[in-house]
Amino acid sequence: MSDLSNVKTKVNYNVVWILAKRELMSFWRNKSRVISSIAQGLLFLFVFGAGFSQIAIVIDGIAVSSRAFSGSGIAAMVILFTGIFGGMSIFRDKMFGFMKELMVAPVSRSTLMLGRTVGVALQTMLQVVIMIALGVAFGYFGYDLSLIWRVMLIVPVAFLASLGIVGIGLTISTRLSDMQSFGLIQTFIVMPMMWLSGALIPLPPQITMFNPFTYSVDLFRFVLLGVSYFPFWLDLLITVGFGTALILIGAQSFNKMEISQ
Amino acid sequence: MTENIIEVKNLTKIYEQGNVLAVDDINISIKKGEIFALLGPNGAGKTTTISILATLLSSTNGKAYVNNYDVSKDPGKVRKSIGIVFQEPSSDGDMTGWENLELHAVLYGMPKKERQDKIREVLKLVDLEDKADIFVKNYSGGMKRRLEIARGLIHEPKVLFLDEPTLGLDPQTRRKIWEKIKELNQSDSKMTILITTHYMEEADELADRICIMDHGKIIAMDTSENLKNQLSGDVIDIKFENLDEPFKISIVIRQVKEIPGVKNVTIGSSEDQQDIMPNIQLPKGMPNVDPAMIQARIRETMSDPKKLIEAWKRMPMSIGMFLNAPLVMKKKIANMFDNKLLEEVPDNIKQELIKIKKGEYEEEEELDPSISISCENGGKQLPLIIQKISDNKLNIKTVHMHQPTLEDVFLHYVGTAIREESSNFSKDVKKMIQMRQLRK
Repeated sequence: MSDLSNVKTKVNYNVVWILAKRELMSFWRNKSRVISSIAQGLLFLFVFGAGFSQIAIVIDGIAVSSRAFSGSGIAAMVILFTGIFGGMSIFRDKMFGFMKELMVAPVSRSTLMLGRTVGVALQTMLQVVIMIALGVAFGYFGYDLSLIWRVMLIVPVAFLASLGIVGIGLTISTRLSDMQSFGLIQTFIVMPMMWLSGALIPLPPQITMFNPFTYSVDLFRFVLLGVSYFPFWLDLLITVGFGTALILIGAQSFNKMEISQ
Repeated sequence: MTENIIEVKNLTKIYEQGNVLAVDDINISIKKGEIFALLGPNGAGKTTTISILATLLSSTNGKAYVNNYDVSKDPGKVRKSIGIVFQEPSSDGDMTGWENLELHAVLYGMPKKERQDKIREVLKLVDLEDKADIFVKNYSGGMKRRLEIARGLIHEPKVLFLDEPTLGLDPQTRRKIWEKIKELNQSDSKMTILITTHYMEEADELADRICIMDHGKIIAMDTSENLKNQLSGDVIDIKFENLDEPFKISIVIRQVKEIPGVKNVTIGSSEDQQDIMPNIQLPKGMPNVDPAMIQARIRETMSDPKKLIEAWKRMPMSIGMFLNAPLVMKKKIANMFDNKLLEEVPDNIKQELIKIKKGEYEEEEELDPSISISCENGGKQLPLIIQKISDNKLNIKTVHMHQPTLEDVFLHYVGTAIREESSNFSKDVKKMIQMRQLRK
């Protein structure tokens, strides 16, 4: 069997850019998505911020304000929702036929894959920034001069952390053939990854350590609050490793995807 | 290589999932500048063939060259040589027409300077200049099609593939698209166009050569004229009164075949499918729609259980149509539904389908049997034919004589049975595939 995916392995960066731009544009044009993501974030911020205000949270022997704990966790959680469902934009394109237009174009699959990954990751990063801006505005992270560079540093971290999650979305959506599976993904992937990461409620590391997303959440806390359950180099290592692995898996299943009719 | 811009040799495609032999050892050569039509019923393998030529699917066996490039070895160059308009819409509704075209131009590596001019040029060609900044989701079906044709032309392809370009469009839009297709073919670049369709008049109107496919095989390939000449003479359709002894028809057929000048006799006729049409009362106030279009749409819907379910859910009229349809029709439809699919069917139809499946209805409501005869000189042979029929004491209901149309040619080759794409066919295919594997 011939391998049609190897049109040429070279990556065409003009195409990567226009595909990434397309993802960002679709995010911007779908105002309902922007609004619902902000509203959801606000809800989580207020519910968890208020609910835990009585509880003392201690990470690595240091007491942390419960609002700062929730704020950073919720910002990380945004990655999970936006990343997975953003990665599923492939599925939307399959449904509406646009995928075929991309598939017959004389560009390599890696170009298509990269364009989409970068686009969704940027879009995710944007949402995290919105979330953190809200958190800062409501005083969740206190008012400290260091907050400026902390927030600036979180931008690349958010991009990095979203790669793995986008990879999950891409992998699933290349294999998905109907809408019904969305509920399953919500129940069996997004929810466990969210609740078992300690993003919303303080959980002992013995429980959260098996969830790769935990380390992204922890990295967020390290950058935003300066404290973390795990050493930051381990967080970084696992986040990068997880991202790379999932992108490779996603690329693999994307390469194999055949579109008929 | 040769001057042929498309060369297909022993091409075969088997879908492993579902064991479907979609394309079975076909050979096609298409000359530069030709308009070539692939004609065939649903599931004949037209789209699969195009998908292989467009490098969207890999072939199981055989070779295919487009613009002298091997589709499996040089897909990149093949892709640059072709433009394709898919059967279903394939533009991004969340982008404007212009943005869709621009994305396409970037995908095909066009420099920024050329892009603007070229996009303007193709938009003008399909009369969409003033709609360029509207989101595609707000386009009508015909506008979407035209936009996609424009898109297929931006990178100046040598070959344009059009997969059912006018499916589901109103007659005016169809004419318009036909004109554009002819224009393209007659322009300086002499673009080669490969078109699939199941509208006969479309193939007749446009194509230099027509290839009829069925069950993945090529069963006829020639100019429209020559194909019709093969059925030269006249076509006589005879409809019988309800008969008590159906076997008599086969006796009649045998005897009619012996009459000098009679070339072929087929049982049943296209009316098999059209018979339910008179039952449809189009609501008043509906715009003037080409009845042939409606028939084609209905035929298309009836071949696919999923489309049927959708139709029943959306249009109450179609439920009435089903309930009033002749039993033979209903049985064919019932056969397409397994228990799983039945779950999705609206209740009143579900009950009817279950009854039919259980065989609660007897064969009392049989369709009027009919035969279709092609002969050299209808005026001469008709009396003889009628004599044979009355010898056998069969009662004739109607007789209809006409010149052969492309539709007759098509039916002559393909037969008249409605296609059940999955059930029986795939069983046969399984056997064939197994036998092939044994031979290896």
